[in-house]
Amino acid sequence: MERIALFPGCLVLQRMPQYEKATKEVLNAIGIQSESIPRAACCGAPLESFTDRWLRFAAYNLSLAERMGLDVVTLCGNCTNTLLRANVALEDPSLRREVNEVLSKMGLRYDGKTTVQHLVQLLTERLDELRARMTRQLSLRVAVTHPCQAFRPHEVTCFDDPLEPQAMRQIVALTGAEVVDYVAEHDCCGSTLYLVDKELGLEAGRRKLASVAGADVLVDACGNCHLLLERFRGFLGNSERGSKLVVLTLPQLLGLAMDIDAADLGISAASGRAIAEAVA
Amino acid sequence: MKERTLDELLEDCTRCGRCREVCIVERLGGHSITSFLCGDENYSSWLCSSCWRCQEVCPQGVDIHTIMMLKRREQEPPPGYEANLVNVMSFGYALPMDDGVNELRRVHGLDAVQFMPAERVEILLQGDMVEKQEDR
Repeated sequence: MERIALFPGCLVLQRMPQYEKATKEVLNAIGIQSESIPRAACCGAPLESFTDRWLRFAAYNLSLAERMGLDVVTLCGNCTNTLLRANVALEDPSLRREVNEVLSKMGLRYDGKTTVQHLVQLLTERLDELRARMTRQLSLRVAVTHPCQAFRPHEVTCFDDPLEPQAMRQIVALTGAEVVDYVAEHDCCGSTLYLVDKELGLEAGRRKLASVAGADVLVDACGNCHLLLERFRGFLGNSERGSKLVVLTLPQLLGLAMDIDAADLGISAASGRAIAEAVA
Repeated sequence: MKERTLDELLEDCTRCGRCREVCIVERLGGHSITSFLCGDENYSSWLCSSCWRCQEVCPQGVDIHTIMMLKRREQEPPPGYEANLVNVMSFGYALPMDDGVNELRRVHGLDAVQFMPAERVEILLQGDMVEKQEDR
């Protein structure tokens, strides 16, 4: 069985085992075994605003995967972007030498042999395998929100249309669901903004959800998006209360179309009921 | 790698304003690094959703991300960013990781995670960071 190293990142690791579990279920269904990376750390992103040491954290994680002989699959836009940019930066021989001096103290070495892909990109390369596993057509109206940093900068990600990505729409369409357009589809969720200015971040989320009105499900593929659009929904104000919109991660939706038990996908009972009602 | 200074990075910018047009912060009424690029001093280098849209649309290929990172190192960080920094520097993750994380993983049928040992965090952070910044 093909194997990959799954890098959930701090946010998914700490708060969203459901997203990671659903990912493992779906990848397993298409013949990919995902392994955790023992002793992996933060990707390095939170350090970059303060110090160049971020590159060492990224290289450390990549060197662990390299030692396992596995390519990395990420679940969060920010980790994806950071690890990919590290791979580019470390093409520079002097930076690589400096990083390897540090890594050698742990018996590790970075040789740039590990590729990094966001889950959406991996799944885009496996559309036939996914299609073959779809056992149930989901008669749902689904809106998608794209993990910004998995697509930009395009010169680093080299994936999809950087301003209007289509990959997630293509994947969701395999489930039989109707992929609906909405005005704020390509706008950022506001999650990172929340870290700096709570009200601006929530306003971005509010506009996004208001614009999605009419869909049964909003699908995301990033810990940050899921945090703001699903976990923080209670903070998004009165207009959101009573809304029947269910926010799922991409593998959770795919898992439903594969007839994987909702509980194994970490889908809450309330969300499960709302989806059942929408399908009926 | 020859790192470019802030002034060198700014040389490519023609102040066309394309970056500010696509910035979600600006649309929401805030002022981001894109305002700075347009010559406006009323902005915060921290006010950013990290969507990278500005850099993607820049006709000059200005490295806006690096400009923002350099400006951030001159400006007071918001508490949220500082907390994440302290967390990573203390134990290697942006968020606290304890036994509860593995307990929650077990409930969801996931394997227990082996966390990064503290001594490895120290090794990765070795060297004087302030000096490194002044090197620029």
